[in-house]
Amino acid sequence: MKSFDTIVIGGGVNGLITAAFLGKAGNKVVLLEKGKSVGGLASTEQFAPGFHCNSVFDSVPWINSVLSTDLDLESHGFRFDDADTALSTPGTEGKTLSISPDTEATSRSIAQFSDRDAEKWPGFCEKISMLTDFLEPLYGITPPPIPELDLTSLLSMKPMIKPVRKHGRQNLVELLRILPMTMLELLDEWFESEPLRGTVAASGIRHLNQGPMAVGTVFNFLHHHVGSESICPVRFVSGGTGQLTDALQSAAETAGVEVRTKAEVSSVMLQNRQATGITLADGEQLTAGAVVSALDPQSTFHLVGTQNLTPRFRRRVKNIKFRGATARVHFGLKSLPQFDSLNEKALKSIVSISPSLSYVESSSDAAKYGQVSQEPWIEFSLPSLRESSFAPLGKHVLSATVQYVPYHLRGMDNATARQKLRNSVVAVLETHALGIADLIEHEQMLTPNDLESKFGLTEGNINHGEMMLDQFFFMRPTIDTAQYSTPIKNLYLCGPGTHPGGGLHGMNGLNAAQLVLKGN
Amino acid sequence: MPVDRKYDAIVIGGGHNGLTTAAYLARDGKKVLLLERRHVLGGAAVTEEIFPGFKFSVCSYVVSLLKPNIIRDLQLSRFGLELVPLESTFTPLEGDYLIRCADNDLTRQELYRHSPNDAEAYNKFGQTMSQIGMAVRPILNTMAPDPTKLGFSGARTLMDLGRHFRSLGSDKFEQLAKLMTMSSADFLDEWFEFEPLKATMSASGIIGTFMGPKSPGSAYVMLHHYMGEIDGVFRAWGFQRGGTGAVSMAIARSAEHFGATIMTEADVSKIITRNGHATGVALENGDEFEAQVVVSGLDPKRTFLNLVDASDLPEDFIQSVKNFRIRGSSGKVNLALDGLPDFTCLPGDGPHLSGAISISPDFDYIEKAYDDAKHGSFSKRPYIDIVLPSVLDPDMSPPGKHVMSCFVQYAPYDITGGWDDSKREAFGDTVVNALARFAPNIKDIILHRQVLTPWDIENTFGLTEGNIFHGELALQQLFFLRPVVKWADYRTPVRKLYQCGSGTHPGGGITGAPGEMAAKKILKEWR
Amino acid sequence: MSIQTQFTGSTSLKVTPFHKRTSVLNHSQEWRRWSGYLSATTYDLTHDVEYYSIRTKAALLDITPLHKYIIKGSDAGIFLDRLVTRNIKVCKIGQVMYTPWCDEDGKQIDDGTVQHLSENRFRLTSAEPNMEWLTHNAAGLEVDISEDSEVTASLALQGPSSRAILNEVADENIDQLKFFWLTERWIGDIPVTISRTGYTGDLGYELWTPKENALTLWDRLMEAGAPFGITPTGLHALDMARIEASLILLDVDYISAQHAAIDLRKSSPFELGLGWTVKLKKKDFIGRTALENDHRRGTEWQLRGIEIEWEPLETLYRKIGLPPQLPGMAWRTSTPLYSGNEQVGYATSGCWSPLLKKYIALAHLKTEYAKEGTPVQFEVKVEHFRKTTSARVVKTPFYNPERKRTCP
Repeated sequence: MKSFDTIVIGGGVNGLITAAFLGKAGNKVVLLEKGKSVGGLASTEQFAPGFHCNSVFDSVPWINSVLSTDLDLESHGFRFDDADTALSTPGTEGKTLSISPDTEATSRSIAQFSDRDAEKWPGFCEKISMLTDFLEPLYGITPPPIPELDLTSLLSMKPMIKPVRKHGRQNLVELLRILPMTMLELLDEWFESEPLRGTVAASGIRHLNQGPMAVGTVFNFLHHHVGSESICPVRFVSGGTGQLTDALQSAAETAGVEVRTKAEVSSVMLQNRQATGITLADGEQLTAGAVVSALDPQSTFHLVGTQNLTPRFRRRVKNIKFRGATARVHFGLKSLPQFDSLNEKALKSIVSISPSLSYVESSSDAAKYGQVSQEPWIEFSLPSLRESSFAPLGKHVLSATVQYVPYHLRGMDNATARQKLRNSVVAVLETHALGIADLIEHEQMLTPNDLESKFGLTEGNINHGEMMLDQFFFMRPTIDTAQYSTPIKNLYLCGPGTHPGGGLHGMNGLNAAQLVLKGN
Repeated sequence: MPVDRKYDAIVIGGGHNGLTTAAYLARDGKKVLLLERRHVLGGAAVTEEIFPGFKFSVCSYVVSLLKPNIIRDLQLSRFGLELVPLESTFTPLEGDYLIRCADNDLTRQELYRHSPNDAEAYNKFGQTMSQIGMAVRPILNTMAPDPTKLGFSGARTLMDLGRHFRSLGSDKFEQLAKLMTMSSADFLDEWFEFEPLKATMSASGIIGTFMGPKSPGSAYVMLHHYMGEIDGVFRAWGFQRGGTGAVSMAIARSAEHFGATIMTEADVSKIITRNGHATGVALENGDEFEAQVVVSGLDPKRTFLNLVDASDLPEDFIQSVKNFRIRGSSGKVNLALDGLPDFTCLPGDGPHLSGAISISPDFDYIEKAYDDAKHGSFSKRPYIDIVLPSVLDPDMSPPGKHVMSCFVQYAPYDITGGWDDSKREAFGDTVVNALARFAPNIKDIILHRQVLTPWDIENTFGLTEGNIFHGELALQQLFFLRPVVKWADYRTPVRKLYQCGSGTHPGGGITGAPGEMAAKKILKEWR
Repeated sequence: MSIQTQFTGSTSLKVTPFHKRTSVLNHSQEWRRWSGYLSATTYDLTHDVEYYSIRTKAALLDITPLHKYIIKGSDAGIFLDRLVTRNIKVCKIGQVMYTPWCDEDGKQIDDGTVQHLSENRFRLTSAEPNMEWLTHNAAGLEVDISEDSEVTASLALQGPSSRAILNEVADENIDQLKFFWLTERWIGDIPVTISRTGYTGDLGYELWTPKENALTLWDRLMEAGAPFGITPTGLHALDMARIEASLILLDVDYISAQHAAIDLRKSSPFELGLGWTVKLKKKDFIGRTALENDHRRGTEWQLRGIEIEWEPLETLYRKIGLPPQLPGMAWRTSTPLYSGNEQVGYATSGCWSPLLKKYIALAHLKTEYAKEGTPVQFEVKVEHFRKTTSARVVKTPFYNPERKRTCP
């Protein structure tokens, strides 16, 4: 039986980061990935002969700078490609709204729709950046156990002093006021023009099962802006999102981590409520002083065995909300489609179909009743315009993130849902690019059910658990596991299901690695 | 009656909170004048004989949350407070029904019929909620601190709260954290499985709000309503004999007993200030009254955007008041009936008619009702909370006849194209049709019908946008954020002007709490 | 002088399958609620005949309101073993075990019996509904749990003549049925599970049969039992018998951890005198870690039997010119116990034992006062005034006849 200091389960961004940092600290680490290669949600893959796509994430808005410096990711081939990034939204009368890091340019673009909004834009950017200033240090700390706060855990909140000093207590209270708001309420306080409201609101519903009129969407909105310099941030990884995980793998291996692919874990071995190792699907057993899971909490504890959890903890795990509502769609296109109002620059970056806040809200209605949105919110890009290697010469790839397609379907099976998803996406795209339907050569539809089976995501939730206020900070993933440790001794969590939640920022993996090191 | 021109305190608005403040101030020996715009007292807690012989609790219709210490302090039972408990909650369904009553065994038996799990979970749930309610109650009774500049007492308040939460233990704290953030549907899903039960229970999470049961934040509103149920005892919900107005009348009589002067048909047009101090009020008819202290029981928007001169208020305060969410979402249909409604699923008379009747067959029904409202129309199939006060209090209607009060959601204030007479009637028809689905005889026994849209509620009762809570019970509008941060302790930027309405902490419902706490704050600061 | 009046009435409460018989026999018309059922407290106008029938003849009690669950499936044994504190793995087919079960903090939720009916098939009885707790803890195991409460009717036949009566009616003699074992028998053409269990601490049996057979079974027992003095018996008499036998009652002697409002109200089996049921050698069961701590550190409280001494009580009453006023029935009001000026415990139920001629009670005592023989002061109200009188901690059960466990 092979023995390690640490076993990391799952080769996504967070698993790789945890493994790399533990390896760097001198631990003997093995990382086990079920798939053919590492990457998880941050992979780039071929979905049809000659056609490549970023599986789930086209853009990586924020990576904690500690990661890129400490792991020296650039030397492992990772680089951002920040040329011409903007989030564009086709508006009415052929006008296009374009939100970019250039505040002035964005204001000019907004002015096409409303002078008042254009004037308010810089103030809004400042406000959001001020609010996320409070969250950023919060994301780097292990949540204290609440309500049993002791002095040590209070002291761990020390990084929070800096933003409070910088912005004043009054603004901390402002954060408390704004955090539980709905995007509708926030935007009512600021803007009037619908394409702007719709597009900013869409940033608040990403991967949620809720529309912008729901409480918690402002929190989700802020979450997506932590660490970023602009509103509705878009950032591409040069060569495709998969380059990030490739670089992380290389960094991990440099740090001495053994990365095993096609290694599916079938159970976590226990002895007296302690994790002692894992059993692979092929029966091989590996032992270790610590097991760290980058899988979502439910999948993780499934490996432990429900019957091995105490009644209270079992109830808590059962009550974690997943309910994925995001679908991914990849089209291999014969040629570049002709969009009415979007130029190539816009198509090279990211386009959001969000003409109004109520459009986005309406698209969320269907999901509540287990139906696929007929007019969904779509965010798409044509990665082949940036990376010519993504498609055969002259051909193109269109990848879209689509909401809402519920995981819990009513009155239909997944195949029907997939068909409905295709129909709605094509119908919406047709209104902006007539004839696009005829250009489709290849396609891949990933509903939450498909995401679940493809990536092992419980209920297809990309964030490993809804990013809502009831699953935030000391409540993520449960009130007794928010410190990356679990009731099973020597078993740790490091995935997006933990604080500070979903995305490719890698904070979960980083925080968890620090905790595991302390535990050792 | 000759009236003095000078008082210690003037209270604007004769709703139950204004009356409570007036009574407490008078009880302390202050010379108090209370001014009510309408000819009747009570604000939204009012009884009116709308049709000859038929008396209605026109607006607010059940009493549960009225604080017991107010009943004691103001000797309300001596002045006519008489509460009759509601006996049951009845949810008619297609071909079946759900009825919960005061008796534990019977309720368990009934729930067991639908779901053994729910029968077991029900008591535990009630217990958990009442314990959390008990844990939150001290917060409701705490003067909200100003978190932007925590003085010694503010810091102590927060520390006390911290200690208080710690004493809850992690299980209850977890439940509390969930209640503060989740949707009532999600929260109830963690406990129960029978949809009509969950839907009916979730309804208390949407009352008076612009949220559906699946909207996060609605669980808190549910908790807010549980607060009145001491020990989880269902019987705490009750009617006032003579209608809800009699509650207000009891407080008014108490206030008068303590020496307060009450004037009706006295419409305040302006709060008079001098050097940033409130010094009195001016009425629509030109009369002016002077006082050392002015207290407004109106909602924050009415108070600050209509009665106070903008130049007396800081700009960011005005902006905050404008940002205060106060969307009305409910309507009221009051019916005078020739007999009792006959429910298809449970025909004839019975205990199910002497409690609350809830048209809430499942989550989807209510959620779809919300979807309609969210997109700018009244619900095509609304959630309705019905009571028949005349069954418990025969004085409310002529013999053999009945009054039926229907609280309806959703009827948004901002309806596409605005409300008008024909939409009001269409709304009334919709409600009657929704009732007829379960009690088909209803159409034949309606003698009179009064329909109140949020516009009517605004115009008649002076509630901005028809919001029954003077401001939505959303997380960002609670405690030290209600109505405006820094001004959550009943004071206002205008010195000697205070607020005492539901728009202040701890919020709406016939609790009397804002009125009581405002009075205490005023008396503490009296110089 | 017997003038009979027929009562008719209606109830919204549930009635058991024996109600057609019990309602006619209930001359006192005294009923109590038991798990939502109407349950006779005494059939006769006073309960002493019923009490004596338990101890001297045979008492027939309708115990249908007990909650019952059938647990089956290949993991049924494992499941129960994880659920309860006793070692179910050693419970053979045909055996019955009394056991408490706890939450993960080691606080008692309920207590009842586990009947091993056949291969991978058990019946669990409990005082309160436990379905939610059972299903929650069955997750991940091959177990099917079904509600048996509404399906199976049950009777307790308790008292020295109970065996003889059953031998009279059963297809086969039950002489060799041992204490806490069960057997299947036919009574006429009714299949009946007979377990040698009960809540009286005497020789006795409990009978389990599909509810359709309820009336036939009742009639057959009453008919065959008549010569032996079989007596329909209500809850008042049972309550006295179970105190004599020192058998605790949920919601009276302890509160279920499932619905105790505060932690202070919860008890571990070690505090309830059930330490013997906690098998810490078992690898894992719910509450094990906490119970291990209890075992190691000892608990603050102990449930014990106390006996209120006769002489001081008599003296106390004599002072005001009365003979000792003894409770005619079992009482359930928490009663303080003192040592000097300090309250060191409280009695939760007690009665005058007509058989032992002793005033006895079950009491929670601080551990340092729980040793056998320790004197404590029992609070008693003598003509409206609170007094204390001497009591001492005694061995339980108060009454434990040999016939309870022996076979002829």
